[in-house]
Amino acid sequence: MITLYDYELSVNCYKQRLLMAILGVEYTAVPVDFYPGWEHKSAEFAKINPLGHIPVIDDDGFVLRDAHAILVYLASRYDPDRRWYPVDDPERLGETAQWMLFAEGTTNTASSARLHDNLGYDFDIDAVRAGAHRLFRVMDEHLWFREREGLDWVVSGEHPTIADLALFPDVALSEEGGISRLDYPALRRWTDRVRRIPGFITMPGVIALRQSPRD
Amino acid sequence: MPESAASSPSGVNDGAAAPDARNRWHPIAAADDLVFRHVYHGKLLGRELAVWRADDGFVNVWENRCLHRGVRLSIGANDGRELACAYHGWRYANRTAGCTYIPAHPADAPARTICNRTFAAIERHGLVWSGEEPDGAPPEAPELDGAETLVLRSLPVNAGAALAIDLLAGYDPEGSPLPVRGDDYATVLEYDDETVIAFFVQPVDSDRSVIRPVLAPAPPAAERIEVLRRHSTALEALRKELEGHAAKLPPVEPMTPALEQVPVHLAELPEPSPRGRQARLRVRVARKWNTAADVAAFELESIAGQLPTFQPGAHIDVHLPGGLIRQYSITNGPGQLDRYRIGVKLEPESRGGSAALHHTVREGDVLAISEPRNNFPLRRNAVRTVLIAGGIGITPLLAMAQTLRHSNLSFELHCFARSRDHLAFGETLERLGDSVTAHLGLSPDDTAAAIAEILQGRSPSDRVYGCGPAPMLAAVRELAAAAGWPEEAVHFEYFSNPTEIDDSSSFEIDLARSALTLAVPAGQTVLEVLRDNGVDVASSCEVGACGTCSVGVIEGEPDHQDVYLTESEKQRGDRMMACISRARGPRLILDL
Repeated sequence: MITLYDYELSVNCYKQRLLMAILGVEYTAVPVDFYPGWEHKSAEFAKINPLGHIPVIDDDGFVLRDAHAILVYLASRYDPDRRWYPVDDPERLGETAQWMLFAEGTTNTASSARLHDNLGYDFDIDAVRAGAHRLFRVMDEHLWFREREGLDWVVSGEHPTIADLALFPDVALSEEGGISRLDYPALRRWTDRVRRIPGFITMPGVIALRQSPRD
Repeated sequence: MPESAASSPSGVNDGAAAPDARNRWHPIAAADDLVFRHVYHGKLLGRELAVWRADDGFVNVWENRCLHRGVRLSIGANDGRELACAYHGWRYANRTAGCTYIPAHPADAPARTICNRTFAAIERHGLVWSGEEPDGAPPEAPELDGAETLVLRSLPVNAGAALAIDLLAGYDPEGSPLPVRGDDYATVLEYDDETVIAFFVQPVDSDRSVIRPVLAPAPPAAERIEVLRRHSTALEALRKELEGHAAKLPPVEPMTPALEQVPVHLAELPEPSPRGRQARLRVRVARKWNTAADVAAFELESIAGQLPTFQPGAHIDVHLPGGLIRQYSITNGPGQLDRYRIGVKLEPESRGGSAALHHTVREGDVLAISEPRNNFPLRRNAVRTVLIAGGIGITPLLAMAQTLRHSNLSFELHCFARSRDHLAFGETLERLGDSVTAHLGLSPDDTAAAIAEILQGRSPSDRVYGCGPAPMLAAVRELAAAAGWPEEAVHFEYFSNPTEIDDSSSFEIDLARSALTLAVPAGQTVLEVLRDNGVDVASSCEVGACGTCSVGVIEGEPDHQDVYLTESEKQRGDRMMACISRARGPRLILDL
């Protein structure tokens, strides 16, 4: 059984909950009092992650930290069809790695702006917002051209990957950090598509898309 | 029009919109930005817009603000027919932006005046155009007409429209351009290879705009991605330059979109006057067909303007030649506001209403109708909704069934009819699939047995809606009570009132708020007396079936005689139907 050291309002923890919900993986969430308790910075939590970050998972004694690394592990272990982490296709695997690294950027900009605005973190707010807009421009252009090719996801091919899930929460909650998505129509459409993935779950601030039947 | 292709800003740009900006059409999106069931987030002249295409193709451009708590509608859900706010679920209809449902008030029909602000929309050259109060037509671009065009990727820039127009004059990824035409918001350039690019600039705010280029003729399909990429890269370079210039300009005040004034008819109490039943709308019979034995269906389209919002269960008054007024339920599904669809059963004992519609009214004829009114509102918080239709009683339930289906809510629609030929709107029933059960050719006893079976296995939040002939509704009422359904979970709509009205009493009415005392003699109705004395009360059927003329009773015992109120509502005695209810005693005090 997987244990997820979790905080409800953390985008990085949400990425894990989202992937496990989509894959139908059962887990136990251990809530960490991230704010205002700073439990992840406690001496006790340092035994689990000396870096003092969440999420961390413990899968029957195998302990792993760092959001995007955990996504790689979970997809590799629990997606028997190998679609979410496309290890059988070197090009798509490379693209997945590229966009996972890109997601480090969106986390460090868009989600940092959110931490600044919501939890009072001391970031240079103008710099992180500008950084997020730079990345969103790149993503919007990329996704606009994907649409022209009839493709839905950041990585080529028909199926979404963990790169989409690594990027989605940073994008979907950007407005909590004062980053409007008005200028990114293709990015906004992609957030609709992610929200239509079977098994999709929300977190506070992320709205579900209810689907009505087609006529 | 730019005087030269020089790319240095001339200093004319102060970021402000030209004075006529409010009165012209501007592009707000590419047509293919409005994908299936998506809500596009737009902004024009400082005003945020929620833009969405309904399943019927209609492009809605609305103020991006829920009337309830001001939340952006662009984060709401486009269900293809309605837009639901993400916050508390208020639903607004395609085309009208009228509110159709408020989840916190499931038993009530929202007032027609709850309507979001809409803006005009036109699709042209692959773009969606809108404006604050646009005059005339979108800008002409004859170079694009007739040719196959390719909409290039639009480019939002942190620079005002004037500066963007200035720099676009030198846009030359394909060799030196020749300016063909232009104005404050558009510039058309021609290149050596005879391709033309029309750049339309959308003024988003005083310091922001979106460049929307359209290329003609479109390159062969195989080359398109390559061409799109080339321009995307070149425009990206132009954006850097443009934003570099813009950053050096002094900051400008953001645009302040004008707030809409509350219209006079909502802000002031109307003058009292005896008016009676009004037919404010004129509609044309766009289509008439036989939908079942003795049932004619009519599609009514507006002659001028948009048809008003309706909710499932609503009806309209149809004013017929010869002064007859009849009520017909709107059968449309949610968001279908292009035409009202009604079904009219030819009554053998017709007093002229159904006969006139069947025999006299033809396609192309103009009818006067009232605005829709809903005295039969559908709650959408039941676990299971049971709809029981007898004959032409299918009509309001058809609207309900389509709404429930579209909201993924569980329901069953039971249609009782003499034969399959008597089932109206078969094509709509077919689309409702397995939720529909037809009960054909049953005797009264078998009908009662079937209804008893339907009403079994109730769970606490289930609801029943019945519409049909009076004896059948009486059976539903009785059987539901016997099966343990509480009265408030069973709703009815009657076609007419089978009660023989006794109008022999005479009494006085005190109008508490108007400070008037009026005498109601035998043979006259309360409604007539009120109107004769300048107090208008909305009414519709005027036979005690529809509930429109309900008035509050403060004191005195009403003699109800209607079929709209339930038994316990009648016993409570706190409202009555002005059209037929009277007083048991000498006096009633009414809340009027």
